[in-house]
Amino acid sequence: MSKEEHTKKRGNRLGLAIFRASLKIFGLSGTYGLLYFVCLYYLAFDRIAVASSMAYIRRRFKKQSYLRRLIGVYRIFINQGKNLIDRYYLISGLGGFDIELSGYDKLNSLLGENHKGVILLTAHVGNWQVAMTALEKLGRTVYLLMRPEDNAAVKEALNIDNESRRIRIISPESYLGGVVEIMNAINSGSIVSIMGDRSYGQNSFEAKLLGDRVRLPYGAFTIAAAAQCPVVVLLSAKLSEKKYVVDVSQIIEPVQGPKAEKQEKIKGSVQEFAGMLDNYAAQYPFQWFVFGDIWEGNN
Amino acid sequence: MQESKAEALAKLRKDLKEMLVKDLSLEDVNPEDIKDDEILFGEGLGLDSLDAVEIVVLLQRNFGLEIKDMNKGKEVFYSIDTLANYVYENTKSET
Repeated sequence: MSKEEHTKKRGNRLGLAIFRASLKIFGLSGTYGLLYFVCLYYLAFDRIAVASSMAYIRRRFKKQSYLRRLIGVYRIFINQGKNLIDRYYLISGLGGFDIELSGYDKLNSLLGENHKGVILLTAHVGNWQVAMTALEKLGRTVYLLMRPEDNAAVKEALNIDNESRRIRIISPESYLGGVVEIMNAINSGSIVSIMGDRSYGQNSFEAKLLGDRVRLPYGAFTIAAAAQCPVVVLLSAKLSEKKYVVDVSQIIEPVQGPKAEKQEKIKGSVQEFAGMLDNYAAQYPFQWFVFGDIWEGNN
Repeated sequence: MQESKAEALAKLRKDLKEMLVKDLSLEDVNPEDIKDDEILFGEGLGLDSLDAVEIVVLLQRNFGLEIKDMNKGKEVFYSIDTLANYVYENTKSET
């Protein structure tokens, strides 16, 4: 079975309708309550989902028993469910969240002093879709680099088709991986968001993450080096029912130099990013939603 | 007039080949090994999308050119010939 098949969509129309109705009737807390039963079902019967989360849990909690790790997987499922509910809650206009933007002034001044835009490097942790909405106050267009098969869900979550929103999509499957569009966006002062946690086997460097070797994509750093724009790391986390923190305070400067030297420096940048993910996992161990064994075959 | 265009294009092709080899650090490739009509990406010279980033910068830095349109990019990045024609057509008023 391919990795793509492992990431099959879960949930059906009836299930989603029940959650949506519950949200309107019982509010956020009541709807979160449903998750404890639904996630128990997935924990018991969805072996692929459990294995894809266990790959992370067993590295994050090396000394724990299998049972405790299984509880960890259950907590991740519940938090992922809360994320999905929160996204719907937000886009349907039922309410909003208190989003603490850490590093906003730094990012704002970076955009102010630089006519160019920045690359936003993020990962499938926390609730990056909710985090994106927080960036709207920067007043810049945000381009998301993502595969077409992920478009529908993200378009819905971010309400991208709405003309008033300043979020757009660039497909990596367009000509030359969308690099011409990416460079144009950066040169015009926009923000380009790239996922840095899955390499799909291409353009990746080895790094150490949670004690094991993993391959992470380096495209964001190569583009940053060419455009000479900084890479701003965006990591978000849910702190309480209605509060999120979005951290954009960590910045990785673009590398310079001849190609061979640049490649070595980019390897360092990839490891720096892996270190940030390590720290994130230490602080928010159950908000890691990189489903799949990204370490597989590297050790 | 026609001859000067041919000369200008020949010089551009030569310069572009040298820039590609240098800026992209193409190992085991000499500028003169690159054919004018050789496909740059995929089969042919074998460049990839991250090399394209360098070419975008190379066009900006050396010729002040930006490719705004994706379809135009596809046309321009095809070979050394198409690159040279694009640079020539968009800079000839300056020379």
